[in-house]
Amino acid sequence: MSFDFILQDFDHVLVEVLTALSPVLVLFLIFLLVFKLPKSMLLTLLKGVLFAFTGLALFLQGVKIGFLPVGNEMGAVLGGFPHRWVLIPLGFILGFVATMAEPAVRILSNQVEESSSGSIRSSTILYTLCLAVGLFIALGMTRIVYGIPFYYIIIPGYLLAIILMIFSKPSFTAIAFDSGGVATGPMTVTFIMAMAVGAADQIEGRDAVVDGFGLIAMVALAPIIMVMLLGFLYPPDERMDSDSEENDKEAASEGKESLSTELPDHETADSNRDADLNKKTAGEGEVSPDETEITSDENSEEVDVNDNDSES
Amino acid sequence: MMEDIKEILLEVLQAIGPIVVVISIIQFFIIRTPISLFWQFFAGAILVTAGLFLFLVGVRVSLLPIGEMVGSRLTSHGSLLLLLVAAFIFGFIITVAEPDVRVLAHQVDIASGGAIDSGILIISVALGVGFFVSLAILRILMGIPIIYLLATGYVFVVVLSFFTPPSFVAISFDAGGVTTGPMAVPFILALGVGTTSVLGGKSTVADTFGLIGLASIGPVIGVMILGVIFG
Repeated sequence: MSFDFILQDFDHVLVEVLTALSPVLVLFLIFLLVFKLPKSMLLTLLKGVLFAFTGLALFLQGVKIGFLPVGNEMGAVLGGFPHRWVLIPLGFILGFVATMAEPAVRILSNQVEESSSGSIRSSTILYTLCLAVGLFIALGMTRIVYGIPFYYIIIPGYLLAIILMIFSKPSFTAIAFDSGGVATGPMTVTFIMAMAVGAADQIEGRDAVVDGFGLIAMVALAPIIMVMLLGFLYPPDERMDSDSEENDKEAASEGKESLSTELPDHETADSNRDADLNKKTAGEGEVSPDETEITSDENSEEVDVNDNDSES
Repeated sequence: MMEDIKEILLEVLQAIGPIVVVISIIQFFIIRTPISLFWQFFAGAILVTAGLFLFLVGVRVSLLPIGEMVGSRLTSHGSLLLLLVAAFIFGFIITVAEPDVRVLAHQVDIASGGAIDSGILIISVALGVGFFVSLAILRILMGIPIIYLLATGYVFVVVLSFFTPPSFVAISFDAGGVTTGPMAVPFILALGVGTTSVLGGKSTVADTFGLIGLASIGPVIGVMILGVIFG
């Protein structure tokens, strides 16, 4: 068994990394001169660029000789299966595990817990995001297997995000849109994308470029939608009257129920139900901001009690 | 510094390890892949892990602190125009060096059989990020609510998508996702924190939220325009 492939075309990668990083080096050198920063910074800069250079070269080489071709090949084999629907549950599992493992997702979860003053626990967010990304990748695979146009998924998805944005609390909106990138870690961008492209290339009637891409966009959209929805489920610092209080409690418990019932049968990747859940919670979310304005003079202690209720 | 390095190593192993295990299981039990393909995957995983680790050490331990220093000097000394131009160049150059963007460009190059050149794709993504980063800085300085810009950006993307050739649509949306990688995120955030801190009492930390979200609209529009021109 030969391992020659490891160094295959490594010179191309080195040239690429050189073109990628030399602008950074030049820009930083200019800044160091212009702002007359201490000489010791020059050494730090050179060390940093050297590390980044070596790292980027190894990373890209690993992707080129390993992840892209193997991912393409695995996708092609699965796409050629008589039971090619197996891509859908596999997509779910890969998305779930990749999100679970992604360090940035943990940081986001803690951020949301903070913004909700502790009423949304970070573990809730973590599992919600894992489920969301898993379902969205499963949906993306469904699209490739059954030939659903990308428009039909991404445009409604973006419109939903825009609608949610209008009703969502500003703090949640900002976090939600920042979180678009958290789940698109190194494994999603390299391996899962390569699998999708390989499968689209293999299946008759699909085009690798038209149908194979789009998965990263969906993985980026999942947390945006989920974080804003979570913001509706637990209104942390808004005052409300008894009516909307019940509404929100209902929304919270419904959300929990749907999530927990989705857990056992996640293999089937029932994206319809997820869409229903989205609509339902979005609809109920619309109610609360209006009502809260009217009754904004109630004292805030009641809110704390209410929050504890909905959590228990 | 040793603590940082240990943390980075743990982070990289944590992000790559579990999914490598899952993929190996799929290879052995579902696909029954030939052993040579498995070794190729395994070698790739080791290179990717080592590479990402070294890259992150370089970025976080030395490049990022310098970037933060430059960011704060820039915002306190420069004029508005200089700041916006610098933000544009900053966004552009950081994106050119972003690993995730390169991977997408490679995959596009392979899948399109070289029809969509990876160099041009990377440049249009980087132009998009640069433009939107300076827009984001302008927003912080002018105090425009983030929601307005996000909503306008997203509506524009939806409308533009109907005029984009089909082969560019999925790629352009993907381009929005890959810019939020290990290089761009810390640098863009550092620039935003620098800008808000200079404003002092006029602004809050909350202003820096939304910066990444805004920056990731840029490449979508950039690649769509590329598609409209060359598609």
